Amino acid sequence: MVNRKVAKVLTFRYTILALILVILAAGLVLLPKYQKHEGINPEELLSKAISPERYISTDLLAEKLVNQDPSFILIDVRDEAEYAKYSLPNAINIPLKKLLDEDSIPYLNQSQYNVILFSNDNFNADQAWLLCSRLNYKNLKVLKGGLNEWYKTIINPTKPSENMTALDFELYSTRKAASMFFGVAYPEQFKVDKPVVVKKTAPKKVITVEKKKKKPAEGGC
Amino acid sequence: MGPLIPNGVIPYEWSNIIAIIIGIAFGFVLEASGFSSSRKLAGVFYGYDFAVLKVFFTAALVSLIGILYMDYLGYLDMGSLYVHPTYLWGAIIGGAIMGVGFVAGGFCPGTSLCAVAIGKVDAIIYVIGIMIGVFIFSELYFLFQPIYEGSFEGNITLMDTFGVNRYWFVFVFTIAAIIIFALSDQIKKRVKKIFY
Repeated sequence: MVNRKVAKVLTFRYTILALILVILAAGLVLLPKYQKHEGINPEELLSKAISPERYISTDLLAEKLVNQDPSFILIDVRDEAEYAKYSLPNAINIPLKKLLDEDSIPYLNQSQYNVILFSNDNFNADQAWLLCSRLNYKNLKVLKGGLNEWYKTIINPTKPSENMTALDFELYSTRKAASMFFGVAYPEQFKVDKPVVVKKTAPKKVITVEKKKKKPAEGGC
Repeated sequence: MGPLIPNGVIPYEWSNIIAIIIGIAFGFVLEASGFSSSRKLAGVFYGYDFAVLKVFFTAALVSLIGILYMDYLGYLDMGSLYVHPTYLWGAIIGGAIMGVGFVAGGFCPGTSLCAVAIGKVDAIIYVIGIMIGVFIFSELYFLFQPIYEGSFEGNITLMDTFGVNRYWFVFVFTIAAIIIFALSDQIKKRVKKIFY
């Protein structure tokens, strides 16, 4: 026994369902819009920012450059004048103020390469890192200490004093070798060793002496 | 499995087992609602049964509206949803072939397996046909490859392509769907009833 009123309502069940759908869809149109938070959320950004993995050391970068590792691109965020004076080999110049230009996006927003940002120190590179991370660009790294650190450790490494460990000496020799790769000349490279005179011992020759056949005298006095 | 497995709520190893359970439930619901009958499925094309049209249109609408509400309220990130890539001509040609197969055989691939499960002979032949089709496609892949991989449009959506507001789009889509449902009811009334 179905209640008559219920049965009467149920004859309109499809209309009611259709109305519910329309009301819900209309609700979406009428809802007040708000500016959505684009990019990654602040918690994620913070956890990325405090992670030490976002830095790359100068030694590691030098090793990558020497081994011609193709997996990264270097981006110099200093201005053009400074870039023209000195930069790392094969670095691309994207000054910080041009970071969000359309031309820079293909270099920064891609997933094939690791992007290594650097400036004179960490500061501008970190700012670039933060802006790009906020836009959810991937594989960004910052050269720890920037070019100053690069100069201090790779181009002009300090010689370890005698009371330091063997590891320090090893590191020094690696850095020195790296700096030679980047074109630094050391005086000992030009020290010409005295040529060692090697006495040549003449090989014994076997001389076969052929006996001359006596010829009959040919005229003469 | 959406947010549960990547976030470690459910261990990754459970993925396949959950897939099997969902698959069984899906098959059960399909069979229980009569979708393993080729007459019911082909009814859309002859105008005596619009169940398929209504079910799939309603499913699309409900999930569309639901996802937009969840996105609005911040429970779901629309940006991280998977959007199937569009290969334009491949999709058009494949859709036409699928449609012809649907009318001729009376099944779509999913429902055919459902019908095999309850022992329908036509469905068994249909599935054998699918396998022959798969074999031909794989063997002649070098011929089909330009169509299969050509005219790639990326992971695009209608809203991005036409640049319309998604909420208005959903509203218009809902109205259109309901008009289509009403029209299909009218057609059903005029077409001679078929007992199946």
